[in-house]
Amino acid sequence: MDLGLKDKVALVTGAGSQIGFGKAIALTLAREGCDVICNDIDIEGAEQTAAEVRALGRRAIAIKADVTKSAEVNDMVKKALEEFGKIDILVNNAGHAFARGPFVEQKEEDWDKDINLNLKGAMICAKAVLPNMLERKSGKIINISSGAAKRGGPFVEAYGAAKSGVGGFTKSLALAIATQGINVNCIAPAIAITNFVGGKLTPGVQRMIDEIPQKRATTPQDVANMVAFLASDVSAHVTGQMFSVDGGSTTTT
Amino acid sequence: MDLGLKDKVALVTGAGSQIGFGKAIALTLAREGCDVVVNDINIEGAEQTAAEVRALGRKALAIKADIRNKDEVDNMVKTALKEFGRIDILVNNAGAPGIGPPTSEEVWDINVNINFKGTWYVTNAVIPHMRERRSGKIVNFSSSVARSGTGGLYAAAKEAVIGLTKSWARELGPLGINVNGIAPGMGDTGFQIAAKATPEQKQRFISTVPMRRLTTPQDIANTVAFLVSDVSSDITGQTIQVDGGDYMF
Repeated sequence: MDLGLKDKVALVTGAGSQIGFGKAIALTLAREGCDVICNDIDIEGAEQTAAEVRALGRRAIAIKADVTKSAEVNDMVKKALEEFGKIDILVNNAGHAFARGPFVEQKEEDWDKDINLNLKGAMICAKAVLPNMLERKSGKIINISSGAAKRGGPFVEAYGAAKSGVGGFTKSLALAIATQGINVNCIAPAIAITNFVGGKLTPGVQRMIDEIPQKRATTPQDVANMVAFLASDVSAHVTGQMFSVDGGSTTTT
Repeated sequence: MDLGLKDKVALVTGAGSQIGFGKAIALTLAREGCDVVVNDINIEGAEQTAAEVRALGRKALAIKADIRNKDEVDNMVKTALKEFGRIDILVNNAGAPGIGPPTSEEVWDINVNINFKGTWYVTNAVIPHMRERRSGKIVNFSSSVARSGTGGLYAAAKEAVIGLTKSWARELGPLGINVNGIAPGMGDTGFQIAAKATPEQKQRFISTVPMRRLTTPQDIANTVAFLVSDVSSDITGQTIQVDGGDYMF
């Protein structure tokens, strides 16, 4: 199926990790014909991802920016627009859980980090990119939420709350700009062997996998495929939704 | 994106209407390389859809069967397996609204038997085969009105399909079989003709949809193609809204 993504420009945040969702998203969009802005605070990683996008025959730039800082994000978007002239697709992928363990032992400053990175970061990036999309009455915003938003995230409560917030933000923004030719959706993956879990299949992670009906972890490619679908006009009538890509973990809504 | 659907065999129920979702699904899957078993109670319509699948260079077989009738359903699946050797994809698209007072048992029977029990019959007939091959994709049809409860017994039957989708997804997940659903918004299909929607009612409805338009058969067919492909293999038990943002949760 031709997703019609040739020559679209995508900004993917948190695309520096070499085992994360962001890189798989960047490369999958590149294979569909997109040019990609690879963002991360880890610029070496972002450069590596950008190099692999270029190896697929598409243009790419790596930009270092902390998505929790408006000034850095605004600079990034300005630079991206100077380079590519437009941003068709924004993938708010950057995320992490800092506050972990028993709730009462978590540090308040880690909650702030969780809320700022996962929720406010997505809002800051959307705000920076939207003027260009609104002007052209065309755009796709894809936020990465989490299964923790739907099922709850024990021992990462602030992360779960932030990711629930991403779901609410997705709906509200989708409604506000539904007639402007801009689709806003989000994806809720299950556990994956990324930096979120230190890149390792620990016994704890294995226990989570055992509870998944399909008995496997979510892969970066699973998420990237869903992003490609949502970034395409074949899903033009889909907006404001949260998509579970989780092997059937969440069959409750 | 190559969806990897070349030479897959799909059974699409309710693909006889020339303005419905089923036909768009059959043709979209054919364009992706699938052979298609085209089912309907309206066999002339099914034959027409099958002819258009063949015009795209794929094999097609039209089979008349009323999904409310277990024998007819079992025979259809048997015939399909004899002809194609396997069924990779089942799209339970056939459905219809029973219009009338929600206290009427006749209205109950129409809604439940077509939309809920019919889906159950067809899926039951196909599951043993998918189990044996430890592979398969099933897409059921719910409706946006199931989420909002704005469609009487039809909405109730379509909500029941969501439950069926989840139960099958859990049961069949370990076998590598994906079961998902789609909840479309209002389309310009036979549904409206059956529901006798006036142009004013239609306009009023559209004005409440965030994207201010009806759902097209192609909108639905695109999502079906994604869900029956292995690119979405981590997605199961979900019922996906394709409705212009009519319902969000």
